[in-house]
Amino acid sequence: MIKNKFGSIYFGILGMVTVAFGVADLLVTIGGESVPWGILEIPADMFRGGWGGFIILFAGVFYLLGVKNFSEIHQQGKVVMGSIMIWIVAGCDIFGMITESIPGGEEGGWLNTLEGFLGTYTPPYSPAIFLLPFSLVVIYYISLSSHK
Amino acid sequence: MKLTFDERWNLIEKISKRTVTFGKYKHTLKDAIGELTVKPLTGIPVAIAVLYGFWSFFSSFAGTLFTDGFFVKLFDFHYLPWIQQHFPGAGGWLYYILVGDPAAGNCFEAFGVLTSGLFVAIGVVLPAIVAFYLLLTLLEDMGYMPRLAVLIDTVLHKIGLHGYAIVPSILSLGCNVPACAACRILETKKERFIMLTLLAVFIPCGAQLGIMREVIPETMGLVLLYLLIGYFIFGFVLNKVIPGESPEILIDVPPYQMPLLRNVGMKVWIRLKGFFRTAIPFVLLGCTVVNILYLSGAMDWIANVLSPVLSGWFGVPKETIGPLIAAFLRKDLAVAQLSAIEMSKYQMITSVVLISIYFPCVATFVMMLKEEGGKGLLGSMTTMVAVVTLYGGLLHLIWILLGVA
Repeated sequence: MIKNKFGSIYFGILGMVTVAFGVADLLVTIGGESVPWGILEIPADMFRGGWGGFIILFAGVFYLLGVKNFSEIHQQGKVVMGSIMIWIVAGCDIFGMITESIPGGEEGGWLNTLEGFLGTYTPPYSPAIFLLPFSLVVIYYISLSSHK
Repeated sequence: MKLTFDERWNLIEKISKRTVTFGKYKHTLKDAIGELTVKPLTGIPVAIAVLYGFWSFFSSFAGTLFTDGFFVKLFDFHYLPWIQQHFPGAGGWLYYILVGDPAAGNCFEAFGVLTSGLFVAIGVVLPAIVAFYLLLTLLEDMGYMPRLAVLIDTVLHKIGLHGYAIVPSILSLGCNVPACAACRILETKKERFIMLTLLAVFIPCGAQLGIMREVIPETMGLVLLYLLIGYFIFGFVLNKVIPGESPEILIDVPPYQMPLLRNVGMKVWIRLKGFFRTAIPFVLLGCTVVNILYLSGAMDWIANVLSPVLSGWFGVPKETIGPLIAAFLRKDLAVAQLSAIEMSKYQMITSVVLISIYFPCVATFVMMLKEEGGKGLLGSMTTMVAVVTLYGGLLHLIWILLGVA
């Protein structure tokens, strides 16, 4: 009961933050110039900012739709789906970094230098990567539902 | 022993009582997620997310990591200078056919069988095909594809197809040849005709997508959008014009499951073998034929004859005829060849669209003949001529109205 109440509040807050990030992504894409803010950078390209932002926005909507009557399995399904959508966008961002970090570039050798390799993973990061660790909490609820 | 009707039903009841457990089925999280991916309101955003993941992985894996990261360097900086220097008979016809332009600085521009031919087939297309088939197999084995079929069923009925037409449509994004074979899952002649025509005209194959990503990365989205719109418009028209039925389907949607590595590996390998057999020989043959046409002067003659149509109606340079002829052998090769022709961004978009919607590559052509027969193929070809004339001309008109042509 308490776990579900916590889940409901947690994903409600996360849903609002996710929706805000999604809207910010879309607005920045319409603006046409990416917005850096500390270690966060909201991309402005049509693919990551536009298409990706649309997915983040819907991930937030899924969270918000799922928080009411959270103990019900279909409601939890919506929250899990919201998290999966964040994993898709963040996973693609991380995979993009990995593929960029390995080759040495036109001027360099076949493989990247250690400095260049590590440099690819330095901030700023996209909103989806920021949301990623918070979205992982859903795994706990998945494991709870599988033990029921 | 002969049982009466009632005795038979009594026996069935007895057997079912012993063998079937009755109770209330409790929905699991997997069931809930499965339902969400099928209902339009929730399923469409999920499908958009899946497509995003598909495309992002495709670009990062094939483009950033393999083609740009390793193959461009290998072919342009090591292999090309080496073969240009060591291949005997520089300036001769054999050198021109096999190595291409001796002054070329990269494999796209050289256009020899052993330079552009190998680079396109191995350096660009192979990673794209691996990425595509890997993802497609994962989605199939996971159980997402039948759900996508259910989700898109209503939309596809508007163009005379049903949900399972999504299978040949998506397969076609990898290669049109297996997609033609996959059209057998459509029941009626009308459905198969519409699907075969649409996939041959409007769906670019994985090889073509890989090359488009290299040659026109910024405008590729526009080209794909234009083709997608054409897919639905001409599908709608064909549905109205072609007589016949488009029946409903009943799909068995399996539960979501974890794909088995062995199965995925095997399926990808079988599909890749098909690619090696059909695509690579045609890429090399395409380079040879086009180079022979250039050397014999036939290409210039054809370009001059078709110049009024190409420049006047479509608004592209007459030199585009070379890639259009090469497109009959391999469309990816043709798009690669376009990069060596000087033209504006808008002419490039029109040229890429023309190559996509004009005649299918020879391998697809043969498959269509096999699947549809001579009469059906003739019908598809007539549709293609109409589409290329109308749709290609329309694009030129759009550029004129925008003041960029």
